Amino acid sequence: MATIPLAANFDGDFVLKLVPVDSENTMDDVAAAAAANSVGIHVADQPGRTLRVKKQGTDTPYARDTTVADSGLEPTECIEIYFE
Amino acid sequence: MALMERSEWYDVARDTEWTPRYVTWEELFPPELSGGEGLPDDVWRTYDEPYKISYREYVDVQRQKDAGAYSVQAALERADIYNNADPAWISILKEHYGAVALVEYGAALQEARFARWCKAPGLRNMAVFGMLDEMRHGQIQLYFPHEYVKKDRQFEWSHASMFSNNWVSLGARHFFDDMLMTRDMVSTSFCANFSFETGFTNLQFIGLSGDAANSGDYTFSKLIQSIQTDEARHAQLGTPLLQMMIENGQRDKAQKEIDISFWRSYRLFTILSGIPMDYYVPLEARHTSFKEFMEEWIVTQFMRELEDLGLSKPWYWDIFMRDISEHHHGQQLGTYSWRPTLWWNPAAGVSPEERDWLEEKYPGWNDTFGKVWDVMIDNFVNGRTEKTVPGTLPMICNLSQLPIVGTPSQTLRDTSVVYKGRRYHFASEVDKWIFEDNPERYRYQKNLVDRFLGGDIEPADLGGVLEYMGLGSIGPSGDDAHGYSWVESYRKQLADAG
Repeated sequence: MATIPLAANFDGDFVLKLVPVDSENTMDDVAAAAAANSVGIHVADQPGRTLRVKKQGTDTPYARDTTVADSGLEPTECIEIYFE
Repeated sequence: MALMERSEWYDVARDTEWTPRYVTWEELFPPELSGGEGLPDDVWRTYDEPYKISYREYVDVQRQKDAGAYSVQAALERADIYNNADPAWISILKEHYGAVALVEYGAALQEARFARWCKAPGLRNMAVFGMLDEMRHGQIQLYFPHEYVKKDRQFEWSHASMFSNNWVSLGARHFFDDMLMTRDMVSTSFCANFSFETGFTNLQFIGLSGDAANSGDYTFSKLIQSIQTDEARHAQLGTPLLQMMIENGQRDKAQKEIDISFWRSYRLFTILSGIPMDYYVPLEARHTSFKEFMEEWIVTQFMRELEDLGLSKPWYWDIFMRDISEHHHGQQLGTYSWRPTLWWNPAAGVSPEERDWLEEKYPGWNDTFGKVWDVMIDNFVNGRTEKTVPGTLPMICNLSQLPIVGTPSQTLRDTSVVYKGRRYHFASEVDKWIFEDNPERYRYQKNLVDRFLGGDIEPADLGGVLEYMGLGSIGPSGDDAHGYSWVESYRKQLADAG
């Protein structure tokens, strides 16, 4: 268990935000943590749609149950979060 | 006894040159301080300053300028601009004085370094006047806001901002330390005189002077004009130096330093000029958008000067031309969202009429930045104030020290590099290029997020961040300039729609 700060690029937002997550968090947890700082604050909600996470520069999202520790993400690396 | 004409004695008096006997030329002008390596020693004497003035003439002119500015201030005190101007205009004054006043003393040190370390005797002479210019600018821009302190404690930041850890101050100090304080004399002249003063103080001073007059603040307008006349004069010091470098085979070195300093100056002015021009200046007083001003004063005029010297547009010209339509919109959203971190009260500038103006000047604004404002406005209208300030920090550029922003769903992205085990983040490819050109110069600096993650800020929450920045102790935190009165029109729209 360790806190990993990530840089979150939430689709529709205008600024990268610092989002601390736990190394044992799944990508669904990560998406929720990022959404808490963007959805309803700077980005409109899209009820009923699923949030996905991918590493900046990649085309494929992580599996939703992948943990931060397993993803290989390093502190302050940038992730992209978007409604699927 | 009749005074001699200046022309009869000037060339003797300006050339305070001598041949050192007790130290070598290298010891008198060390390369790390004087710069200009590779230029023949005899070329420095050929430097011909673009304006000529004696100390007697200088003092007389400056006395008249001071008398003009201070007398206008005294005469218009009864106009009570503080209570009669649009509150957003007062915010511009607070932002300006806090960001600029003390920096002028740094500029005085920069000119003093020219007076000591420059190898060209003519420039050394003129730099003494430049130093006196900057001291006057520091004094007058501390004196004018001082009268407002008793009315509004946010004006305390005029004197305090550069001693604080406010994020805007961190950005300004990083910029000015890089451009004015820590390069050799020749490089500093290119960065400070040519790029910053010739290129950009026009933007802050001429643009703001016109906006001040349009907004009825003739005191500030006069003050800014008074300063600009000095800037326009001593900014010319760098041009003959550039010519000397280019003529002696150092064009590429000059080009690179201008490319670096032009970008850094531009990005700083997106905060100092871009936001006020497009969001704070009352709509009826706006004549041009920030983009239009940039196109007229920077794209056209500054580029003409580069071409006259045989220099090229910076390599990132396409990036820059796109950036002037977008970056400051992101910074406005950021500064307004994190308004408690400001020493001034930001105006939102997004009433329905102002949005029409933004859409006209920046086609597509409503479908991009406007959509973010839609969410914020919905929160204001429905009383969800807790959702109007983010609960986390923005990622911050390790060069510009500004939040990393972009056009929503289009250009927002992280640009990072790992250097000696540490990941650095940048707000653009240009910022990254500047860092990678000389990473040892920049690698040790910690931006606000680095400090937050490194445990320098306790408690590690918004309250701790505000305290770290001096908000609440130096002066109150920022809040909406108009007390959210602009939200009423949206509330009415909602009510009318049923």
